[in-house]
Amino acid sequence: MAAVLKIFEAIGRRTARGFDEWGFAASLLGESVMWMFVGRFYKQPVRITHTFAEMMRFGIAALPIAILLSATIGLMLAIQSLYSLGLFGAQNFAYIGIALSVTREFSPLIMGILIAGRSGSAIAARLATMTINQEIDALQVMGINPVRFLVAPMLIALVVMLPCLAMLANLVSIAAAALYVCADLDKSLGSYLYDTLQILKSEDVLHGIGKASFFGLLIGLIGVMNGAGVSGGAEGVGRVTTRSVVQAITAIVISDMIIGYMSTH
Amino acid sequence: MSVAGPTPHSTETETFWHPTPEELAGRPVVIEVNHLDWSFGPRQVLFDVTMQVHEGEIMVIMGGSGSGKTTLLRHLVGLMPPVPGRIKLLGKDLGGLKSLERLEVRRKIGVAFQFGALFSSMNVADNVKLPLRELAHLDEKTMDIMARLKLEVVNLSGFGHLMPAELSGGMVKRASIARAIVMDPKLIFLDEPSSGLDPVVSSALDDLILRLREAMGISVVVVTHDVESAFKIGDRITVLDRGRVLACERPEQIRVNTNERVQNLINRRSEHVEVDPEEYLRRLAGD
Repeated sequence: MAAVLKIFEAIGRRTARGFDEWGFAASLLGESVMWMFVGRFYKQPVRITHTFAEMMRFGIAALPIAILLSATIGLMLAIQSLYSLGLFGAQNFAYIGIALSVTREFSPLIMGILIAGRSGSAIAARLATMTINQEIDALQVMGINPVRFLVAPMLIALVVMLPCLAMLANLVSIAAAALYVCADLDKSLGSYLYDTLQILKSEDVLHGIGKASFFGLLIGLIGVMNGAGVSGGAEGVGRVTTRSVVQAITAIVISDMIIGYMSTH
Repeated sequence: MSVAGPTPHSTETETFWHPTPEELAGRPVVIEVNHLDWSFGPRQVLFDVTMQVHEGEIMVIMGGSGSGKTTLLRHLVGLMPPVPGRIKLLGKDLGGLKSLERLEVRRKIGVAFQFGALFSSMNVADNVKLPLRELAHLDEKTMDIMARLKLEVVNLSGFGHLMPAELSGGMVKRASIARAIVMDPKLIFLDEPSSGLDPVVSSALDDLILRLREAMGISVVVVTHDVESAFKIGDRITVLDRGRVLACERPEQIRVNTNERVQNLINRRSEHVEVDPEEYLRRLAGD
């Protein structure tokens, strides 16, 4: 009986902690939005230079790996599409699946997972280290709001840069897929791209970009939430970093499925 | 015990003056703590703490490990959840302030943390300039000059380009003090300024604190367990023990205080604890 009670107690504690963490994330988001709009009136604006520095770190510095992954995804989709459609002799329609799945699904998802691993972990580790070194306390006692100074620029950078990366991934993936399909089917590149543009609607692209923006927000909030809640020194930093990546990727995949379902029904 | 006149305090190179009790009594109160209790869950760490700090005074909060001095400091600088009516900082009740008003009060204080809390991504000069850049809205040249001045005050001129990781322990503490005073605060808090430093560097830091008070007329709250340093710099010393204020007196009064625990602390005597062997074994066995 005692063991059963302990299980229920553990479930209850974890649920309460989950609500607590998401409440904290919501308050971070609210506070960040507030500082974006009213910071100037309180002479504490969200610094554009900080925001650009974060954009460089999260977006521009990730370009090489983003291009490599996008090209690989495009090729992989082309290979699988030609194989599966080839079973029905419908290889010529591969462009439809590639175009729609890249723009609506793969680009935002893969870029989200990439940035969650690359930048989400960095955000959590950075904030955790700053918390342990009392740098966050130092900001607070200086009268500098840490959310305005640290969190808001990171969130803006992620919300802006992830759609940019997703858009780039669209172009690179489709181009890579086009090269493979055209080479395999002996088709001209121009006609492949023409067909792709015919099938793609602006809402498909906007759907993917909107999702990427939302994933950026999730990555930022989860990274900050974990980093700020660190305890236990260097070991704690490692723990929250891992936790942040796992949580961010899980949140991205689950929310992607929910958004996908809602947008098609 | 009363002290008749100002007490000169001599170091090898400089003589510093401590204000008399009468002088201090006539000055405005900058910190007022009234009957502050605080618990972390079931464990109470502060019991009915009451103290005052006057303008221009150096108040040392002294106590052993786990005495509650860091918790008290965190309350004083507003890093703990506010308790209405218990702490007044520069005339403002911290518990009654909205978060933006609290930010305004914090701009008038400076804090140097135990391990410096310098931002590892910025060099020393940028660390010192940070409050100016974020709060004062000055042009870059003026900020450079002000940062250089403060680094000069703490004997760190010429080290502004170094990253915090390249500094020694004493230099980190001094850089942290430079950042704490860069906005010309009315009140600064120093958390364990001499911890981890050798006696010579520690003594130099004490001189720096005394010089700062003389030059800037600021009030200083120092949290330390370094008895020598406390007696050297403090106008008054508050002795905390297990979360309770045992004494809040001038150094010479603390020396002759009859409380055994105060004497144990200043004479570095370990407390004699009677251990019941039966009880000890029961605890070990987890009964």
